[in-house]
This record gives sequence, C-alpha cells and structure tokens, in this order.
Amino acid sequence: MAESRQALQTTGEKCHDPYLRCALYGAAQVALGVRGCCVLSHSPQGCYQLVGAAFGWQDADYTETLTLCTKLCEDEIVHGGEDVLARTILEAQELNVPILFVLTACGPEIVGDDVVAVCQDTSSRVNFRIVPILCAGFRGDQNQGTDIALEAILRQLVPEDGKKIPRSVLLIAPHANANPTWMGDLAWVKRVLAEMGCTVAATLTHDTALSDFQQVPLAEGCLVLSHDAGQKAADYLLQRYGIEQWCQGLPLPVGFTNTRRWLTELGQRLGAETVAERLISEGEKRVVEVCRRKGLEISAMHRTSAAIVADATVGIPLVRFITEDLEMIPRLICLRSGQAGATELLEHELVDLALNPKLIYNTDVYQSKTALAEVKPEMVLGSNIERHAVEDLGIPFVFRLVNPISRFRLVDRAYWGYEGMLNLIESIQNDWLDRYRSKERRYKARW
Amino acid sequence: MDASRIAFHGTLQQLLEKVKKGEMIPKLQASHAPPCKFWTAFQVLNGIRHMAPVIHGPKGCTYSVASSYKMRGCEYRGVPLEPTSCTAQNEADVVYGGEGKLLEAVKEADRRYHPELIVILSCCCSGITGDDVETIAQVAAKEVSAKVLAIRSEGFGGDFRSGYEDAFRVLMELMEPRKEVMKGTINIIGAREGPTYTEWVEDLDEIKRLVEAIGAKINGVLCGGCTLEQIRKAPSAELNASWCYDWGQKLGDLMEERFGVPYARTGQPYGLKATEEWTMGVAIPLGLEERAREVIRKETAAVAEELDTLRSYFQGKTALIEIAEFPGPIRALSLASMAEEFGAHPIIINLHPYTIKERMPSIEFLLKRGQNPEVILTQGLFSLGSFNSSTETQEEVEMIAAQYDNAIYLGSPLRQPGIPQLNMTTITGYPQYGYQGIRNIARLMRVGMEQAARPRSRLFRQVLYGE
Repeated sequence: MAESRQALQTTGEKCHDPYLRCALYGAAQVALGVRGCCVLSHSPQGCYQLVGAAFGWQDADYTETLTLCTKLCEDEIVHGGEDVLARTILEAQELNVPILFVLTACGPEIVGDDVVAVCQDTSSRVNFRIVPILCAGFRGDQNQGTDIALEAILRQLVPEDGKKIPRSVLLIAPHANANPTWMGDLAWVKRVLAEMGCTVAATLTHDTALSDFQQVPLAEGCLVLSHDAGQKAADYLLQRYGIEQWCQGLPLPVGFTNTRRWLTELGQRLGAETVAERLISEGEKRVVEVCRRKGLEISAMHRTSAAIVADATVGIPLVRFITEDLEMIPRLICLRSGQAGATELLEHELVDLALNPKLIYNTDVYQSKTALAEVKPEMVLGSNIERHAVEDLGIPFVFRLVNPISRFRLVDRAYWGYEGMLNLIESIQNDWLDRYRSKERRYKARW
Repeated sequence: MDASRIAFHGTLQQLLEKVKKGEMIPKLQASHAPPCKFWTAFQVLNGIRHMAPVIHGPKGCTYSVASSYKMRGCEYRGVPLEPTSCTAQNEADVVYGGEGKLLEAVKEADRRYHPELIVILSCCCSGITGDDVETIAQVAAKEVSAKVLAIRSEGFGGDFRSGYEDAFRVLMELMEPRKEVMKGTINIIGAREGPTYTEWVEDLDEIKRLVEAIGAKINGVLCGGCTLEQIRKAPSAELNASWCYDWGQKLGDLMEERFGVPYARTGQPYGLKATEEWTMGVAIPLGLEERAREVIRKETAAVAEELDTLRSYFQGKTALIEIAEFPGPIRALSLASMAEEFGAHPIIINLHPYTIKERMPSIEFLLKRGQNPEVILTQGLFSLGSFNSSTETQEEVEMIAAQYDNAIYLGSPLRQPGIPQLNMTTITGYPQYGYQGIRNIARLMRVGMEQAARPRSRLFRQVLYGE
C-alpha cells in the first residue's frame, strides 16, 4: 500500500507563473466550437489575442468562423462601452452569421457594462441569435471559463425537453485536453461509439452545428471527455434533463487498463458488450504486434523514475499507463488543475497502483521546476515549458506530450485507445532517441 | 481600373493630411486588432535579461504573453526560460483591491527568481480598481534585493504603440547620469525581445557586423537581450542609433533631451544608399568616417554582382509594395526607397490610415527626408472580417497589377497578382538589412523574375481563399 503522500493542494503563493489562460479563453474555446459562428470579444484588443488562440485550439476555419473585438479604450472604461458594443453587434449584420457569442473581459465587467441588456436590445435589429457569456478573466482560469460558457450555452440554446433517443450520448468538453491534437481523441471516441451502435446527439463543443443543441435534451447519457472541465455541465444535464453521466470516476482511456475499463462500461451501457470485447481484444493484440514488429525501446522505460507535468485530462490516465504498460515509476505528478473529482480519482489510482509520488495540484511553472529539481526524475512527461525549465537540472529526457510542444502537427493523433497508445509510445521514443543525436561533430567529413 | 474599389490614390503626404483632418477614420475595423498596451510594454521589458515581471492581473494576460514572447524567445533567440509571474487576480482582488497581494508577490518573486530587476505591470483589472502600482514598487524596492519598477500598462490605456513608448520611458529611471563618455561606443535602441514579427535577429546581426567593422562597439541593444548594467550605462554611450527609426525614435529623443546623448536619425538600411547612410550616421559622430568609407567601399565591391541584378530588374519597372501589414509599414516605406534607388517607380499598397496615425512622427520624419511615395488604398483594407478583407484585397491587387506594364510585386506570398513577385516575408535566416540584405533581396529578385510564369498552387489558393 502507498504510504501517506505529500500533496500540495494550495501553496498560499502570491506570485504565480501560470500554465493556464483565463476564463475568457476557455469560454472562447467553447464558443468557437460552434460551426460558422461569430465570436465578439467585448474587451480591449489584447484580450482579442486570446480569442485568436482559442480559434486555433478549436481548429476553426477562417472561411466560415469569424471573430470581432470592440477594442475598448480609456473612453469606454470611463464612460461605459455599451454603445460601442451595440454598434459592433449591428455592424456584424453584414457577416451573415447564424449566431453571435458576446464574451466579456475584465474591463467591461468591472465598470458594469450591462452586456445582457445590450444583447437583448439589439437582438430584434439583427438576423442572428445573440448569446452573451460573462467570462471576465478574473472569474477564473480557462477551465472555469469552459464551465461558464457551457452553462451559458446550455441555458440559452437548449430547448426544454423532448423524447429520448435510445442509445444516444452527449460528448462534453473535448477541447479541455492538453493533447495538442485532441481532435484525434474525440474522433476515436466517436468511432467506438458508432461501432457500439450509439448516436452522438451533440458534441459540446467542436464543429458543432447550431441545430445540434436541439438534440441535447434527447440524449440518454453523457461522457465528460476531460478531467479538467465539463463536470458542472454533466451535473446540470443530470439535474435538468435526467441525462446520466457514463464512465464517471474512470480515468480517460489511455493505456490497456484504462481503455479496457472505459470500453467495458460503454459496452454495458449500450448493450454492446460483445462489440466492446472485440474492440479490446483486437486493439490490445494490435498494440502488442506493432510494438513487437516495429520495435519497443523497453530499455528506455523500464523502472525509470518519471515525472508527469500535465493537465489532469492527460496526466491522470498517464499514471496507470506508464506504470503498468511502460514499467516506469512515477515519482512526481504536477497537475495544472485540481478539480475535486479529479484529485479524488488520481489519489484512488495511486493507492491502487501502490505509488507514492510527490503531488502538486494547480501547479505553476516555478513549483514544477522546483519539484523537478528536488525529485530529479530521469524522465519528464510534459511540455516544451519543462524542456526549457529543466535545462540546468541535469534531467536527461523531456517527452513533449502536452501543449505547448512547439511541434505543429497537421495530422490529429489520439492519445486515447489503442492507436493512442502507439502514438504516445512513438512520441516518447522519438524524444528519447533525439537525446542520442549529437549536436556537434568531433571532426569534419572529407567529402 | 475599377475606381469603386480604390479608397485612396495619392501621395504619402496627401494621405497623412487626410488622416490629420480625420477624413479617413484612422481606426482598424472590429475584425482586426494589434496587441494592446500591456502586450507591447511586456515585449520591451522581456528584452532585459534576468528581469522578473510581476503582472498585476489575472492569469490570461500572463500566460498569453509568456506563450507568445517568452517561449518564442527561448526557441528562436536561444535565451533561457525565465519566469513570467502574476498575482492571478480573482474576484475578491477586484472587489477588495490587490495592493497587499501585489507587495507580497514582489517579495516572493525576489526570493524565488533572484532577478536583477522586477517590473510590475498593471492590467485592466488593477488599472480600473486603482491599485497604486507605483507606490507598491517604491515600498517593495526597500524590501527586496532587486531593483523594482512599475508601469501602468492596462490594456485599455492606449494603443499598441503607447506600450512600447511607456516601457522605454519607464526604463530611463534605471539609467545613470551621463558620466565619462564611452568613446566609440553606441547603443542600438528601440529593440524588443518579443520577439516581434518585424524584428529579426538576422537583421540585428547585420547591424552589429557593420558597427564592429567600422571600429565601433555596442554597449547594448535596448531592449533586445540587454542587461540591467547596459541600461544603467546607456547614457554614457557616445551615440544612440536605432535598428528601426520608428521604434527607436521615442527613446532616442528622450535620451537626447534628458542625458544629451546624440541620436543618429537614419532610416532602415535597405539597399545601398540607406545602408551607407545608416553606417555613416554612426561613423561620422564617432569620428570613424574614414574607416567607414573603406568598409563601405569593400562591402559594395563584394555585392557588385547583386547590385547589377537589382538595377537590371528594377530599372523602369513599377514596384507594387504590399507589406504594410506584415512585415510592417516602415519596412514598406524603406523598401520603396530602395526600389526607387535602383530605378523603379514604387507604389505602396494598403498602408492603413490607422498605422499613419500611430506612426505619425516617423512618417513625418520620412517625408522630411524626401520620401513621399505614391500610395493606393483599396476597399478590401476596410472590410469587416479578416477573410473577407484578404479575399477582396487579392482581387484588388490583381486589378491594380493589370493596370501597369512591367510591374513587379514586392509583398507577401499570401497574394499572387499574376506578375513577377518577391516574397518579402522570409527574413529568418535571410536578413534584408545592409549588404547581406542586398545579397538576399537580389536572390529573391532573381527567383521572382525567373519563376514569374508559374501558376499559383491549387492548394495555396484554396487554403487562402476557399475557392
């Protein structure tokens, strides 16, 4: 059994070097997951850059999704920005969009712009739906912003109720996942659900059609695809529409055991146990065969001391995967968030795996670096931030798995499921082999 | 030419006058926005080694600038990762004020990071609630080892330019009075270790190479990776010179006024004439004229073939220059001068009235030097929606190109107007300044002319314009 652990829930720190952006960014991610929408940032122009970052995170297409900004200056902070907001909403008429999300930043919320009233007043003069979302940066981090926006959208765009569609499910917060190409994870979930005969009623949100929101009350179940955000939406859906959450309390499907558990529960929920068993046996067989045929760097991983510095969505499932499947020993886990359900889940996993790593929730860059210096793992499963942060710590390997990784990838690569296992192993092995590429030549070639 | 697609056609001087009179609303449309004052102030400060920012604001402002500038600095400029910290303001801080938390944060930053300098940057939240960041900086300075400065940089407080200028102004508090002048030593001013898209290491390297070649030394590049010590000593340099007149102008004027440091007012070293002017602008005040002339002679001889290439290709052509949005309006004007030097008639396309307003002193300076090129603004420049704007502008640039015999296009590969074109956006690895720049621009010119008949790729066209 694991001994008692040192877990830093909060450090009382005043000076924070964050891994996360603010609520406005998280809310923008949710809004920009609605296909063909327009997002208006009621903010100074700096905040608009966050909307731009969210645009990229949602793989939005500039030929169909638009972003605007009221570009508030001193005048609007002193005298209020309601006029410029109304003007910009009316100006957006020429863009021919079906829906406009109005996101509020710190400035207009503090000075008291009545954004909801402006949206109501202008709604009769435009030919698109307007959804105000109060998501000022000071309301929390990006995960909280995701929760705020999901709630606003569920309350404003989803109809009262309707007849349930058998074997249908909602997918919640797929984008709250630091896999840089998280769309691969979402696609894997959709594939296995389809194989089990399940209909995805709506994805909240990614490439979501406006009409999909009509389907929300009709779903039988929901899956929260993040350990960082989305739980509040699932709770609301249960309370408001009686939609049950599936796979609750299970780590997301990374590695043999997590994937087996996840698929098994889905199979049971959908009456598709046989399909689930087939997916599991075929998937596990494929992973083994691919690794046998193409080569698995077992010596790189066996009993190496490892640190995980990641969001909860990737970080928590990695613990079992690297311990059971890759024979690493997690000595340090730094999670960028620390929602109640997620911390309980992680601690349950650690007990089950008889692990006793140092734990930090809601970590910042300084805490991670200090903990890495203290623990001195051989390997870090993290991001480009850790790659730079450990430069002077003598830690030989940093595997870049989570955002930011500075390797732009055009092709979506899942971390979930069986192909996901192979993708993770490949990333780890590439970074491991890269360490053996000499940066200098000892002598010159003659040709 | 379809006149309805042309919003302005005249000279730079005429455009400036219209902007001054408010005839063309000098405001970017809602779908276009440069960074706010906070971002640009951070860009400047981020160029000081071992500086720990304490951003008095929520996490979003902090992570965003760290991600955009700090990480890119680590990757591109090879600087080590240093912290970007904040007070992570929440609702309680907004309601009750966050001065106490800020003071503690500064102390914690000093303990954690051992910086030489801590700069407190205010954001919208702290700016509106009225937290007195300057007083906190004064109080904190007595309790920590590092120097402490504060800058009011709330995003709503000004446009992007004010962030740069205010940051340079605040940094002057670190400068010691002009003492014994460091003979033969200059400061390169106006740089930002953003790094921004308009400021390439390779261009700065070429400037440094020229300065060293004429026998001068550089005290520091302010603030392109400089140390606190270099900032302290900056007023004792013999001369200030800028990598770009536009960005150096404010700090140059202020340092001249306060410390009496002369400022070499020169444009960007694009082409032979401007490079000579930039070099002599440094050499003459330092008494290095003779050596500089020798350097210029040798360097010019070494690029003789490239100069011939440029003259032969530019001569008698109309040079349509469209880089006002990227890599920037001042570079567009510098490029226009270069095109004229080599015998072309330059026309600058889409120099937004907004940028004229923001860069008024620099534009006026260039006009005084006799740079008054023809300017065309098209309607696409003012379209709402960046995709709409780009699509319309492509059509308009094609239309303009068709009006001129023998035109060449110097701009972005986002466009392909059907005439020979130079891709002026590949500066990483291929600087455009100085003699290296002449080599690279000649290479671009050869490629552009020799490959002019090639069609636009279907992939690029459909990605850009969705056709």
